Amino acid sequence: MRFAPTEEQAEFRSAVKALLADTCDIVAVRASWGGEVGRHTDVGQGNGRVERAWKGLADMGVLGLLVPEADGGMGMTQDAFVGIAVEAGYAGLPDPLIETAAVAPPVLASSSEPLASEILARIACGEVTVGVGFGESPIVPCASTADWFLILTGSAAHLLDASAADITPLSSVDGARHLGRVNWNADDSTVVVSSDSDAVALAAARNAAATFSAAALVGLSHRMIDMTVEYVGERRQFGVPIGSFQAVKHELADAALGVEFAEPLAFNAAHLLSVGEDATVAASMAKSRASRSSQVASDVCLQLHGAIGYTVEHDLHLFMKRAWALSRQYGDFRTHRAVVRRALLED
Amino acid sequence: MAMNIVVCVKQIPDPADPGELDPNTKTLKRDVKLILDEADSYGVEMALQLVDAAGGGEVTLVSMAPDDEVGGIRTALAMGAAKAVLVSDEALVGSDALGTAKVLAKAIERAGDADLVITATESSDGYTGTVPEQVAELLGLPSITFAKSIEVDGNTIKVKRQTEAGYDDVEAPTPAVISVTAGVVEPRYPSFKGIMAAKSKPVDEVTVADLGLDADAVGWAGARQEIVEIATAETREAGTIIEDEGEGYAQIVDFLADLKVI
Repeated sequence: MRFAPTEEQAEFRSAVKALLADTCDIVAVRASWGGEVGRHTDVGQGNGRVERAWKGLADMGVLGLLVPEADGGMGMTQDAFVGIAVEAGYAGLPDPLIETAAVAPPVLASSSEPLASEILARIACGEVTVGVGFGESPIVPCASTADWFLILTGSAAHLLDASAADITPLSSVDGARHLGRVNWNADDSTVVVSSDSDAVALAAARNAAATFSAAALVGLSHRMIDMTVEYVGERRQFGVPIGSFQAVKHELADAALGVEFAEPLAFNAAHLLSVGEDATVAASMAKSRASRSSQVASDVCLQLHGAIGYTVEHDLHLFMKRAWALSRQYGDFRTHRAVVRRALLED
Repeated sequence: MAMNIVVCVKQIPDPADPGELDPNTKTLKRDVKLILDEADSYGVEMALQLVDAAGGGEVTLVSMAPDDEVGGIRTALAMGAAKAVLVSDEALVGSDALGTAKVLAKAIERAGDADLVITATESSDGYTGTVPEQVAELLGLPSITFAKSIEVDGNTIKVKRQTEAGYDDVEAPTPAVISVTAGVVEPRYPSFKGIMAAKSKPVDEVTVADLGLDADAVGWAGARQEIVEIATAETREAGTIIEDEGEGYAQIVDFLADLKVI
């Protein structure tokens, strides 16, 4: 089985990396925060969106990558998206890219409802964002700006018009997250896919959410490690950069090693989603490892930044707090590890 | 009116990876993966915009690179250029600016009738800044340098030419060779469809002989310059570090007074 990216997929990824480096820089990420952003009196006015980056992603074809060609997309598979999710994590892109471009399209594409097809076309051209939630009263990231909600219960996928939905805003440690609880009552009129018609698509949506948030965590971890390597090369103690001390090097090496092992798991899960095989265990392996290694990376990077790392003004917070939130979203380390453990015991 | 534009693009080692000089040849090592010189991406963008505005025509790339390198050309093709002429030949190793210009001039002729030839003002790895004018001379075409904007009006090219004080309005009949400054347009990002399409766009790979040039006129043989010596640039001396025991400001004042700035 080969799950390394093709040459074309690697080119897609580097195009996205260049786009996000320009359009989603640190200033844009900080501006997207709605909570505490700097001095204790400063509260960000951001809505969790970086519009310029989103438009660039639409023009490039990222948003329509997994949308069927018949609906105006490129009709590609999940293995083409996983590297892009890593780059979105690396850039700290706060927008609901994973949900809109990678979780929702395959579910909507498996629906026979005309509305699903219409939303797919609007996703591809960057007109709408989709917030994704699981369960009866889901907590959804980017809830305040989402145009549509795709809510997956055990038995069906529901598509809700966000303008008609009742949302209770919730606070998050990540100020760009704009979490909200969607209050709604399941109703047959909002069903786009039911487990009777396509149980595979519903299961795949859960696995895609875990897989691509794992990929984003890998990118976030890489970013934190890069920032910290730069910092320990500049910060001097006892007349030398602190990065020259073995204790510092080993901490960073441990953090980097964890991320290196987590990344292929996400690529493997994306490959299984692409070929239509059951990715449940692979996605859980990816999400549990990525969550764990991002936790290690966060702790190490915070520690090595010393006191300055504890200040909200420091850029490390933008990535560290995203990692904290993302590592618990769509199933945390323990939940996914339990899935893997059960699968092992059953074999 | 359809407009055909040739853009000269250079493929260079990634500036993010510090380049190395070969002590034997005294030239830049170019055996790494090459990418499109960012300075040329502005010319490509300008050409694409002019073709769009003209409502027809196409952009053709011309490049000279070792080992049939197409990495940078593919980037420009993904942006929207239609085709490319790539000159790659062992005989070109060691070419100076004039040798390069001779090759590019022949390659531009091979690319077909162009209404306009666009180049950067200089490459990001060589910095001679003389190739555009040499190409114009060899082709017998008017040359306008440092263009910050280009407008086509029938058979006339109107250029705002960057100067230290502002800009000059300069006109020339087509065809002409124009070098554009960096930062005047925002180069587009290649779209995924563009990246896929670039793979099937034609790249005409030619040798020095295919261009009808004598191998002695280019490369080391034809170079009229000789690189005598290469040396590491002197590093700047470290500044003076003052331990501030509460009187540090006085030393700064003294330092500035010594410089006679206060």
